[in-house]
Amino acid sequence: MSIELVQVSKRFGKVLAVDKVSVEIEKGEFFTFLGPSGCGKTTTLRIIAGLEIPDEGRVIMDGADITYLPPHKRDTAMVFQNYALWPHMTVFENVAYGLKVRKYPKEEIRRKVKEVLELVRLEGLEDRYPTQLSGGQQQRVALARALVVEPKALLLDEPLSNLDAKLRIEMREELKRIQKSLNITAVYVTHDQEEAMVLSDRIAVMNRGRVVQIGSPEELYGRPKTLFVATFIGKYNILEGVVREVEGDTVSIESSGIRIRGVLPSSDVKPSVGEVVYAVFRPHGAYLKPSSDRDNEFFGKISLVSYLGEHLEVRVETRLGKMLIYLPPDFRLPLGESIKFYVPQHNVLVYPKKGEEVYSV
Amino acid sequence: MRFIERESGLKKVLRSFDSFIAINLALAVAFFTLFLILPVLSSAVEAFLDKGAISLRPIIEVLTNPEYVRLPPSLEVVRVEPVYGIVNGSVVPLGYIVSIGRYGPDFGKLVNSLFVSFTTAAIATVLGVIAAFVMSRYRFPGKSVFGVLLIVPLLATPFVNGYVIGRVFGRDGLINMFVREVLGFRNVTIELVGLPAVILVQSLSFFPIVYLNAYASMINLDPSLEEQAENLGSSGLRLFRTITFPLSLPGVAAGAALVFIFSLEDLGAPIGVKAAFGLGLHNKLLSYDVYDHFRKAYALELVSRSAYAVTFLMLLISSVGFILIRSYVSLRQYAMLSKGGRWAPRVRSVKGWRKVAVPLGLAIILAITSFPQIGTVLMAFSDWAITGTAPRNFRIEYFLTIASDADIVRAIGNSVRYSLMALAVMVLVGGGLAYITSRRRVPGSGVLDLLATLPIAIPGIVIGVGYMTFFNTYFRGTILSPVDYPTNLLVFTYSARRIPFVVRPIYAGLQQVHVSLEEAAHNLGASRNRVYLTVILPLIIGNVVAGALTAFVYSMNEVSTSLLLGARDPERAPLTYWISDRIGGQTLGAVSAAAAACVLLMILQLASIAISNTILRQRVSFLGV
Repeated sequence: MSIELVQVSKRFGKVLAVDKVSVEIEKGEFFTFLGPSGCGKTTTLRIIAGLEIPDEGRVIMDGADITYLPPHKRDTAMVFQNYALWPHMTVFENVAYGLKVRKYPKEEIRRKVKEVLELVRLEGLEDRYPTQLSGGQQQRVALARALVVEPKALLLDEPLSNLDAKLRIEMREELKRIQKSLNITAVYVTHDQEEAMVLSDRIAVMNRGRVVQIGSPEELYGRPKTLFVATFIGKYNILEGVVREVEGDTVSIESSGIRIRGVLPSSDVKPSVGEVVYAVFRPHGAYLKPSSDRDNEFFGKISLVSYLGEHLEVRVETRLGKMLIYLPPDFRLPLGESIKFYVPQHNVLVYPKKGEEVYSV
Repeated sequence: MRFIERESGLKKVLRSFDSFIAINLALAVAFFTLFLILPVLSSAVEAFLDKGAISLRPIIEVLTNPEYVRLPPSLEVVRVEPVYGIVNGSVVPLGYIVSIGRYGPDFGKLVNSLFVSFTTAAIATVLGVIAAFVMSRYRFPGKSVFGVLLIVPLLATPFVNGYVIGRVFGRDGLINMFVREVLGFRNVTIELVGLPAVILVQSLSFFPIVYLNAYASMINLDPSLEEQAENLGSSGLRLFRTITFPLSLPGVAAGAALVFIFSLEDLGAPIGVKAAFGLGLHNKLLSYDVYDHFRKAYALELVSRSAYAVTFLMLLISSVGFILIRSYVSLRQYAMLSKGGRWAPRVRSVKGWRKVAVPLGLAIILAITSFPQIGTVLMAFSDWAITGTAPRNFRIEYFLTIASDADIVRAIGNSVRYSLMALAVMVLVGGGLAYITSRRRVPGSGVLDLLATLPIAIPGIVIGVGYMTFFNTYFRGTILSPVDYPTNLLVFTYSARRIPFVVRPIYAGLQQVHVSLEEAAHNLGASRNRVYLTVILPLIIGNVVAGALTAFVYSMNEVSTSLLLGARDPERAPLTYWISDRIGGQTLGAVSAAAAACVLLMILQLASIAISNTILRQRVSFLGV
């Protein structure tokens, strides 16, 4: 099922929770709303489920306007953050509920519940009550309960946030496997960018009720359109400077007397000479050897080295402040030693300072 | 692509009323309008009518009448009078009678009522807070037993409690027997009557209301708040005075306000004390005044204007008190600072001599406060009511008299019937009301929330008078006519007065059922009615049963409207009417029959509390603002 939101807004009292959100979700796509808490992502999901009615805008599923259709008449199934398992029903009864509502014959209910419990690897736990299950098992019951009715779209509201780190990664892979094997449209809500990256075909980053950027994980990480997206997803270094020269999509800026060359992330913004901007680059955008003569060159002293397995996270005190770079794990330099590194111009993204927001925890 | 037309504002409001909400909302609005608001308003309107015209005269007449506001008041609380007797043909002094309350205080009925209510609330608060603090903060031998026993004083024994006090503090009472026989003062007789007697009876019966509310507040206090104060060097009384008490004040205040209102509307104590002492200052109270006006009028049209004015004043006093306390309590809900799960309340063991002193002190408080209940049982199983002084000759015959008392047997049947019918109404209306107020942001749900607690604040007498004027005006000749079928109305006075007992536990249960449990079912295709039946109801059924039981019991022992309306058709009158009749009766064994009926009521109450506690697995503080 394809889902389309057209200029959807929702207000709670004075708070504008969702502000003119428009997205198109393809059939079979794994689509994620990603953003900090309070950004309106859960409300957007609840609008798709019909649990909230938008004040403005339209919700369209497979070409039909379902903005005002009550939740029980939509063919969507939701997995809640707290799982919402009914404590007075067994695993079987919980999973079978949607089928009973749909008046399936008893035998078929039994068969379908069995199948879906196998799919989520919970065979044999039919007669347990939710309180007798572990967090991971509860989570899978919630998933099974949603999947068994073969909904046209699966809606997931931070379903993994209550699990411990290891289980979260396991369930994440499980979820992806099931979604792809059923080829079901999935709409996912999370504040965890890593989770979003791993699971999603496309991600909509939200902030203050608005969608700031929609794109594949690679696009969002490599080409964040706004400063907020750049700073929300992944680690980064940020430098404030003044524009000295603009030439096509390359910008030359000056920061504490040092020239830095970078590129504009999109053609929408064109800073003028003299304007204050931010230059942002990722830790892995730095190299020890220059790749061309247009690379930015930085000097500094190593103040901290953390071994992260596949690479070293190195903190360098430069004239422009602390910077974070990733170096190969076999690199050896003692603390306090001077280091020179290069950041190719295309790895530095330049954003105007005005009207932009840095995500900070 | 076909767009549905954009919804207008009105349509948006209407959307929030699906059929389930709409039916329940309509039911609740209709019920409260017809059976609470309109009757109460019509009784208030009567207070401003004088010969068909709008006038302040009835009110002014009451306020300027020395019967109601006595200037200067009599403050002669104690009077010592010599008693003379004739010995061998000559008059000789025999001794003295020390009368407390017979000649004063008397400020006139209006001020008397305020005085009694304030004093009762104050005494009940002191007793209740002490008991709550000890029970919530200390561990000592026999604590669990006290937890149960502290409910005993709350068991209603209407009228008989006042009579028992008469048997204890009367001229031939237990106290005087003690003074004469044990202390040896043969020439001194003490008696306690009038307002002090009423205050005593009411304080004893109502202090558990403060206790339950204060206890709930103290148990729910975040222990870290007290621990922080202790950590900074505070302990003992200072800790209680500066931290524990102020933080539990919302609960204490709610309890105190309820006691004030219950005392204001109470008819049981004035009638019970009258049965023991005859008419006196204990009957110079607003509640008794209204009851007396209506009792004496052969036709409703003959009831004096001042009765309505007094009814209005009672409504005014109680609603002002209710509104003040409600805004105060909601302003001060700071007791719950932390979020998250329940914590273990701070309980510490008492050490040394306190191990004996604490339970002993509590036992003394308990023995005094539950004396009306103990006395009622004694009276039902001995000939105390007949031979006076001390309970002697224990026997079961008096208790069995109720089986052969046709009036009482019939009255029990009536009460059960009215209460069960009221129960059906309460569960139907109250269940929907609790759901709407806990779940939906429909316009006016704030008003519904208020309505669900308001009946606690309206004196039963006001409701009774309201029913008589309203239904006599608009339902004349129907089955709801107070002239032809006064007792039919009892089903509705019971449901209107006791509905908070049903709404509260259901509301509390719904608060514990996370909305997502409903949404999950809804999302899987279940309609709202189906969600209600398959998800919500099974999860809150315990609360429904507990609320229903409490409401049933409190309907069985309802006094004010039972007396006002029951007196108009004794054949169909409920049990409490007949208890009031028997307690004032002159025939042998009548008082014992009344006591026996109260014992039955107590058993019923105990059973319901036990069942509710088992179902809800916790002590329910079912009385609160």
